[in-house]
Amino acid sequence: MKHLTLTLQFLCIAVLLSCSSDDDSPAQTETVVAFENSELIFSTSVDERTINLVFSNPAQQAGNIQLSWSSNNSNYNEDFVTTPGSESGTLELPFENGDDGVSFELQKLQNPIEGQEKTINFSITSTSLSNFIAGGNTDLEVAFSEAAASSGNFAPEVGGPNQPNQVFLDLSSQSSVTSSREAWDLKFYNGDDFRVKLNGSLFMAAAELEFEDITTVTAEDVAELQSQVAVGTFNPANMAYVDAPNGELYGTAISEISVSDSENKVYLLNLGNEIGTETPQPGSEAVAGEARGWKKIRILRDGQNYILQHANLDETDFQEITINKTSQNSFSHVKLASNEIVQVDENITWDLKFTVFTNEITGAGSYGFTDFIVNNRLQGAKAFMMETSSFSYNEFNIDNVDTENFTEDQRGIGSQWRVGGGPNSSPTLKEDVFFILQDGDENIYKIRFTALTNDNGIRGYPAFEYEKLN
Amino acid sequence: MRKLVFAFVVIGFTNGLAQSKKGSDTYLDGINDLDEVVVTGQINPQSVDKSVFEVKVINRQTIDNLAANNLADILNQQLNINIVPNASTGKSGVQLFGLDAQYFKILVDNIPLVSDEGLGNNADLTQINLDDIERIEIVEGAMGVQYGANAVSGIINIITKKDSEYKWEITPFIQEESIGDEYNLSDQGRHIQSLRVAHNINDNWYAQVSAFRNDFKGRFGEKQGQDYIENDGLRGYEWLPKVQTNYKALLRYNHKNTTLFYKFEYFDETVSRYSESVFRNFNPSTQTSNPTANDDIFDTQRLVHHINLNTLIFDKTRLDISTSFQKQTRNVEQFTYRLLSGKKENIRKNEYESRNVFFSRGNLSNFISTESFDLQAGYEINLIDGYTSPMSNPLQSEAVSRSLHSYDAFVTSRFELSEKFSIRPGARLLLSNNFDPLFAVSLSSKYVFNDGLQARAVVGSSPRTPSYDELFTYFVDVNHDVRGNENLSPEQGYSAFFHLKKAYWNKDYSLKVKPKLSFWYLNVEDRIELSIVNPSPLAYQYINIDKFQSIGTSLTTSLEYQNLTANIGLSLTGISKVLDSRENFNDDFLYGLQANTSLSYRVPKLDITSSLFFKYNGPQYQFVQQQTEAGETALERGKQDGFGLMDFSLRKQFLNKRLDVTLGSRNLLDVDRVNTTATEGGAHSGAPSNILLAYGRSYFIKLLYQFKF
Repeated sequence: MKHLTLTLQFLCIAVLLSCSSDDDSPAQTETVVAFENSELIFSTSVDERTINLVFSNPAQQAGNIQLSWSSNNSNYNEDFVTTPGSESGTLELPFENGDDGVSFELQKLQNPIEGQEKTINFSITSTSLSNFIAGGNTDLEVAFSEAAASSGNFAPEVGGPNQPNQVFLDLSSQSSVTSSREAWDLKFYNGDDFRVKLNGSLFMAAAELEFEDITTVTAEDVAELQSQVAVGTFNPANMAYVDAPNGELYGTAISEISVSDSENKVYLLNLGNEIGTETPQPGSEAVAGEARGWKKIRILRDGQNYILQHANLDETDFQEITINKTSQNSFSHVKLASNEIVQVDENITWDLKFTVFTNEITGAGSYGFTDFIVNNRLQGAKAFMMETSSFSYNEFNIDNVDTENFTEDQRGIGSQWRVGGGPNSSPTLKEDVFFILQDGDENIYKIRFTALTNDNGIRGYPAFEYEKLN
Repeated sequence: MRKLVFAFVVIGFTNGLAQSKKGSDTYLDGINDLDEVVVTGQINPQSVDKSVFEVKVINRQTIDNLAANNLADILNQQLNINIVPNASTGKSGVQLFGLDAQYFKILVDNIPLVSDEGLGNNADLTQINLDDIERIEIVEGAMGVQYGANAVSGIINIITKKDSEYKWEITPFIQEESIGDEYNLSDQGRHIQSLRVAHNINDNWYAQVSAFRNDFKGRFGEKQGQDYIENDGLRGYEWLPKVQTNYKALLRYNHKNTTLFYKFEYFDETVSRYSESVFRNFNPSTQTSNPTANDDIFDTQRLVHHINLNTLIFDKTRLDISTSFQKQTRNVEQFTYRLLSGKKENIRKNEYESRNVFFSRGNLSNFISTESFDLQAGYEINLIDGYTSPMSNPLQSEAVSRSLHSYDAFVTSRFELSEKFSIRPGARLLLSNNFDPLFAVSLSSKYVFNDGLQARAVVGSSPRTPSYDELFTYFVDVNHDVRGNENLSPEQGYSAFFHLKKAYWNKDYSLKVKPKLSFWYLNVEDRIELSIVNPSPLAYQYINIDKFQSIGTSLTTSLEYQNLTANIGLSLTGISKVLDSRENFNDDFLYGLQANTSLSYRVPKLDITSSLFFKYNGPQYQFVQQQTEAGETALERGKQDGFGLMDFSLRKQFLNKRLDVTLGSRNLLDVDRVNTTATEGGAHSGAPSNILLAYGRSYFIKLLYQFKF
């Protein structure tokens, strides 16, 4: 009996020890609502904009948000209207369970007379739910002016782990243009020089051949070369087949187009890879899909115009397209499959481009990068990185900008905003850096990246905030 | 009845152990009364001294003195063996003579044990609990004839308890252990509960069940746990938390010359891996952050059925058949964890990897048997159905299902050429659905000199079958081209060992000293390595290309004097790698020293045993490619620092030896990270400057009660 008691006691202790306490974390109860931006610029070219309010987390039940506005030198129905209407000076925006924001439209009815300052101030006044509170950007100032925006947020629509899009952003006008990576193949410089660049976001590559007649080149002629004319072969010599990653115009894989036809050789063109279609593990990317095949091309000059000849490798015939130089933008983009000029960046003067990118690893040659950010070198945009160990993002001001740090290189941000990553691990946001950008109009911004992935850790959902310093 | 093959008798030490009271005369003769009986590699169970193989035995006493819970705890102290823990997966593998767990086979009761990635090999040592273990037998060297493929560097045969001297034996125990300096009752430390019930139903039937639970709370170390919201690499655990439960059952039938047993095991393990990357999800508009992380919970289940028949036919011929179904499945639950609310979202449950095994081995022995000749012939069937998901190998693009079926036949024999000299030749033919026929051979011999000096020479071979990574890796994108190779051949391992040993004792047997000197050579041909098969465009593939050699010598001595037992060992191993897979390599032998010692002192009056174990792993060297300042690659001799593992325990029995209390400390020298320059960096990461090998000094208490009647 003594044994039994002891055994029982023993077992009781064992049972006690095996029960661990499950303490629940405090539930998140409050939802914060804010204007997406604290400031919005209506330049003369913009007539209507959507104004977004965002929630810190999705609504748990339906409700509404009340806004009020006050204006300076602008009148409702004369200078502007909102949808839904708000002639009374207040605006009610309903939301449903699960919504993560609300929005309304603001339409400009007339431009201000030059020199006149017209603004409207929107404020969040109340919400219908007690756990919905205003925070962060509780006010929004809308200015009808040409001035550069002093702050803003962007979540460029790179499009997830296949990163199907190139996104062009202009910080001063808070505007962006999104375009498919597969929208174009070659771009033709509109400035003084005659230069043609490849679509590095698809990992294209080009090699000069000995031929001058595009019809005489056969697949057999280039068979040996093909394995080398590619990105990621780990042969340093392959840098000759891609455009200089630093963005220098003179570093193109295709030599400058000469007035003398005999100097314009036929090129073997590796069309790179289609946009990937696989769904990778969270944190990984799948940007490269099937190989897009090969073309042979030859580019000639006709006065101030380019003439592009292109054909499949074994064709004895070719297609031709003339590209006239325009003053609208740095480059004109051409899509080979449809043999036409396409609009890609919609002629905005972009500062930053989010794109898949053909970069270089020293000693290993060209290498495909994802989550890459390029500053618009040809329009004078420059950037450099700051470490938070020397200045915090919030403290950093115009006096701290050492303009000597600005680099011509279009990779001023590049991939430096993320860290790590490889076959066995996923890269993460680099939390201890921010960037300084100067655009072509010498506006200087500080930029802090706030996301590389979405909440589920899926790649291709970047976000950043910025503030103008000067 | 007493002469049963599976009369598992541990004599161990002369006095004190209850088990030795009965049945011990079976193998007692002369000085051999100190020897354990072993079954590994034997035609019939033999005493260690009679065995032609050199079998090392870890007995229950040693396991108890260490209060060892799993195989890793105990092998840590073994000469030549290194335990390689992987803090990021929670697994621990074995390394012997510089060869990893793929080359080493783990058997339980003579049959290989299933693991996530194989049968017998690639085992996670922490998944093998020692609660019902009678003893552990270790044989170094290639044992392909006896145990088939993947027994290259050696084998471990775990022998479980299969009898009791009592009608009823109920043994509960609890063990509380700190993990480094971390311990509390809720979320730190290691908490173990176990219960074993054994019952002799009648003269013929015996049954035994046991339950074991090991709640390893993980080690925080510098890390901050699951709910840490900063993205600075400090989220999660340094050692992953895991909870293991293990249920076992045995039913045994004895009648005359026949033993039949059925064994069942169910094992479940949950390992939680909390990502160190935190997505802070800062929203600049609302100035709020809703941090998330991608976490994984792995659930491993192992199911083992083993049925064994051992009987005499035609008077003398012994038939021994084991048949086993085993299954191990590792599932993963992946989810997004919201750090503030504690909610799991986006939950995906998938099979991670699995092995489904049918195994059967049978042999007939003594069917041509004289005093001086034994012959054993048998078959072995391994049907292994495996599955790996792309999640288990980031370099594998699709799930792989594969069947590896092998059908082996083997013959071994023993010639007693004289009283002093015996030899054991053997051969095995390995046929499989995936590879060309293979052979394994062995030749062992033993000679006893007049003065009692024993000499043994053991030569053996065993192939290693390619792993799934080696066969099925496929990572081809714009920047990479890394491929497995389904046409790989198995690697071929050969080994030769030479042992000399002798026992010395004084007149009244109060002092016994047994020194042993060993030499060995081990060689792996056609070693599989990821190699550059095309420099431009750069392409890698696994091919049979390299060569591995290991040479070594060891001197071990055991000493017994009255109530003191001591062991001391010293070994020196040299490793040479011919790496034709690389542009340049250096195949010089690089030497590593190991030493171990154990001391156990017993005070019979007080029923106290105190034990000290110490193992020193000397510096290990490896040639590594490094970038010189000029940007060229050069080979340098990298070094992993030496370290010592010391364990101490005090064990006292109370209440007429029914209550057993063990107090102690593991890793007294407080080792955790060891500096190294012997690892190479990857393409995307630098070489680590240290490796995590242990979690620092920890303390334990074990309370065991034996309820017998």
